[in-house]
Amino acid sequence: MRRNGVFVRLTLVLVASTALAACNSNKSPGSTTDSTTAPKCGAGTGQKATGEPIKLGAIATKQPGTDFTDIPNMAKAFFDCVNDNGGINGRPIQYLIETEQTDPGQVAALAKKLVESDKVLGIVGNTSIIECAVNHGYYEQQGFYIIDSGIAPECYSTPNSAAVNMGPRYSVDGATQYLIRQGVKKLVLDQSNVPGTGYIEGGFLLIAKDAGIPTESLKDNVPIQDANSVALKAVQAAGKDGGVVLNFTPPEALKILQAAQQQGLQDSVKWACSTPCNTDYLAEALGPQWNGKLGVNAELNLTTAAGPDSELYRAVQKRYAPNIPLGSFSQMGFVEASIAVKALMSVSGEFTAKSVNEAIKNIKDFKTDILCKPWYYGNAPLHIPNNTDRTVVPQDGKMIEKEGCFPISEVDPAIAQVRQIEAAG
Amino acid sequence: MRRPGIPRVRHPATAAALLLVVLLAVPSALSTYWIIVLTAVTIYSVVALGLGLLMGRVGLVSLGQIAILALGAWVAAKLAFATSMPFPLVLLIAGTITMVLGTLVGLPALRLSGLYLALITLMLAGAITVVLATTNFPNGGPGFLGHTESSFGNPAVRRPDIATTDLAYFRYTVIVAALMFALVFWHVRSRPGRAWAAIRQSEPAALAAGVNITTYKLWAWALASFVTGVAGGLLAGSVGKLYTYQFPTRDSLILLAVVLMGGIYNLWGAVVAGALMKLLPALLDNWGLPPDLLIILFGVGVLQVLLTAPGGLAAQVPKDLARLGRTLVALSGRRAPEGDTR
Amino acid sequence: MPEWQNFQPFIVSGLALGGVYSLSGVGMVVLYRTTGVLNLAFGAVGAMGAFIAWSLVNTYGWPEALAYLVCVGFGAVISLVYGILAGPPLAGRDPLVKAAATIGLALILLGAMSWIWSDKARSLVLPTTTWRYSVGEVFINWTQIIALALGVLVTLATAAFLRRTGLGTAMRALANDREITAALGVPVRRVEAITWLVSGALAGAAGLLLSNLVGLDAATLTFLVISSLAAALIARLRSLVVTLLAGIVIGLVNAMVTPIFSISSYRDMTPFVLAAVALLFLSRHQQISFARRNR
Repeated sequence: MRRNGVFVRLTLVLVASTALAACNSNKSPGSTTDSTTAPKCGAGTGQKATGEPIKLGAIATKQPGTDFTDIPNMAKAFFDCVNDNGGINGRPIQYLIETEQTDPGQVAALAKKLVESDKVLGIVGNTSIIECAVNHGYYEQQGFYIIDSGIAPECYSTPNSAAVNMGPRYSVDGATQYLIRQGVKKLVLDQSNVPGTGYIEGGFLLIAKDAGIPTESLKDNVPIQDANSVALKAVQAAGKDGGVVLNFTPPEALKILQAAQQQGLQDSVKWACSTPCNTDYLAEALGPQWNGKLGVNAELNLTTAAGPDSELYRAVQKRYAPNIPLGSFSQMGFVEASIAVKALMSVSGEFTAKSVNEAIKNIKDFKTDILCKPWYYGNAPLHIPNNTDRTVVPQDGKMIEKEGCFPISEVDPAIAQVRQIEAAG
Repeated sequence: MRRPGIPRVRHPATAAALLLVVLLAVPSALSTYWIIVLTAVTIYSVVALGLGLLMGRVGLVSLGQIAILALGAWVAAKLAFATSMPFPLVLLIAGTITMVLGTLVGLPALRLSGLYLALITLMLAGAITVVLATTNFPNGGPGFLGHTESSFGNPAVRRPDIATTDLAYFRYTVIVAALMFALVFWHVRSRPGRAWAAIRQSEPAALAAGVNITTYKLWAWALASFVTGVAGGLLAGSVGKLYTYQFPTRDSLILLAVVLMGGIYNLWGAVVAGALMKLLPALLDNWGLPPDLLIILFGVGVLQVLLTAPGGLAAQVPKDLARLGRTLVALSGRRAPEGDTR
Repeated sequence: MPEWQNFQPFIVSGLALGGVYSLSGVGMVVLYRTTGVLNLAFGAVGAMGAFIAWSLVNTYGWPEALAYLVCVGFGAVISLVYGILAGPPLAGRDPLVKAAATIGLALILLGAMSWIWSDKARSLVLPTTTWRYSVGEVFINWTQIIALALGVLVTLATAAFLRRTGLGTAMRALANDREITAALGVPVRRVEAITWLVSGALAGAAGLLLSNLVGLDAATLTFLVISSLAAALIARLRSLVVTLLAGIVIGLVNAMVTPIFSISSYRDMTPFVLAAVALLFLSRHQQISFARRNR
């Protein structure tokens, strides 16, 4: 009995201290709440919206090893800013973020929860390893048009999903094109061994073949326990004057790059990485040894870019989400939320799931300095609205631009198809 | 681990009534989301049943049950895509093949016991996980592995013709799960159960009494693998698309935790375990609490059970409720409560 | 089949990986030999210490040396607390139960780490990682050497300690039978406390080294113990020297399989396959068990 008491107390202490630590952990020294200039979002009235809330939803992966919640959390920050500035015709946006642990049953259930129980009018900001694959049929059935940050192939190959990013396949394409411009004699793609590797390497193989460069495709189980071997293997496969494209999440990519650096391999081959590497966190962790040596395909502009949207992004982050780091994840969340707000503002008449999703589908020519080209949705069997990218490289702890906007190669058939759709209207 | 004993169905009427309630009343009151959650609870209850059988009745600990579940799901998916067998047959064959594989594994390993057995099951589970990660789950593709990398149009594992909606599939799952529980219960009440109880009490004594230890241990192992394989088949039909993400190593440890917390001496403990594993995360998400909290709670739960309450929740809750009842009665009668009979 | 010179660099990386497995394996076997507890939370303890050190350095600007000391100290303290709270009640139980209890601790730590430090690309670079020298066309850095050396040092020191000193003999007796040892007048609680403290400090140090060699990632570091267990199992949780050697062999085989592309994706199976094969081979004649006399 005495032990029971001890345990109850111990549990309470444990949970309380962990909660305290969790709340305090992300506080960076010297952060201040800027009360002087509040950013103006949406209608920009400066008045708090107080009407009946308009519900939106999102599903994101959050489990040990993978955490995409920065994206919807930043979207929420933008919605908060809009709500502080008059909302949508005076009505605030209520944003429900669901997290999942890559359990397909759970992911399917969450979509049904959002649509049928919570009765959200639109779904914006989904970022999940499997969500598009599991739920796209359901969304098509329900007439929901999703704005997401896609990862699974179905995010880019089905009619009811349009992403603000390019996803692993086309981002790898972009990194490959960069390496080809660097004049490599052999191309190696190394990616994490998760479902979908065949889809991801498809574009890589076609583009390399078109350029007449031999290739090698490697896969590694994550989490990586032996980064030294992985780095060595990739470099060996690439050989002299070869190039290596990495497609991993930032922590795993960091392991490989650091192992490569410890082996002095950062100069042995040309290195490139798909867009997950585009974060200042990584640039900082890599250090000056990697200055200019890692070409990262950037689906979005630099976080330090000039331009009204980028400035608003930084202002919103500073005011409403100081704990979310600046980087492509939060940029994606910001852009998705901006698109959603534009769609909502264009709804005339009643706000229903039908009218909201119709407005989303009709988005055309959404210009922002965070993306290379205007974003659009429309009626099409597939959507890859972001198909023009930049290349950035790490420099002294930050990412800087190396190549300006360039189109992803049409050797990849889906890109060719999308360009045709764009040309048609 | 001192508690032997063959269970009696204290209230067979209660069990049957509960089953009817779950089948009929509960689903109509809940949204699709919760029905899917409860389907997962039911499936993992069967998995917990297998592990609880091994741990509570025979005293064997397996840390690889999630890998067995993955195997069952793999076989079921392959059968569902490659043949047009009726679904119950798919489940049966998946369970049988899993049983055979599990027994093959169990055969050499059962010469080990205790900590060694647990660790080697962990090793084997690790090996299976790597193989599955490399070969992937079948998704309708050609060949033995049945996996194709084509980007879209991946079909979902088919469901039984009579139960294609989420609600109907839930009922189907509950019925199959009830059959699995009945199967295990029947074993426990008859000769294998008595042999297992003897083995758990004392192996030398059981040997002296003429119990063929190896046979009965294998039987338990086979039974646990069978029900887990069937659960795997149910899981394949439930989620439709299978990924290696669903079967992480972490889940084997969490399964151990919830089975201990639910209680290994009582078949109801398996239901509690399933609820802990799949209902609690959904509830926490509903209340806006982080899922990491749950992992911490499971860790504390394991320690609690091992240190103080070996019977787990299924044994503890009735006792606690009884104690609460006594305390309430005593308080209302303004008498000091009776001392704890522990 | 690749040529010999392609294998060469993997020998070095294999030795480095072997050092990783050996260090964790030896750490767990040492504690097992002295308290009868197989601490499956070994990796989690070290990982949490490493995360705390990272936070101290990167968020609060502490000097690195102090943060590393805190990491080791954290490992020591948390293991001590666990040993004091959970040791005595479980003392008479099956080793399986004691190991299962450490799973509870591992889950608690894993959940806490997940909650406090969400998943980002973090790195904790010890100064020793930046000092390196070349062997052929490959580089070895000092952290890898230290990991291997620490494993060897702990093996030798523990072996000598257990056999030659009074305290060591007391620990061996304790692991064997706590009640009789207590009856003989050995200060059981104090000896246990010291054992947990030292083992925890070792876990903290290992966590620091491993965060450099494998990566600062909660899940990776926590579940690394499963691969390291393979080395411990091959030694049947008894011989420290065998654990050390087994760890190195596993690391070597794992790395050497890398350039053979046809089976390269299966190489993560190496620890498990080797352990399963070795164990089943070693036990082919006997019944191996850790059953206590009275359950």
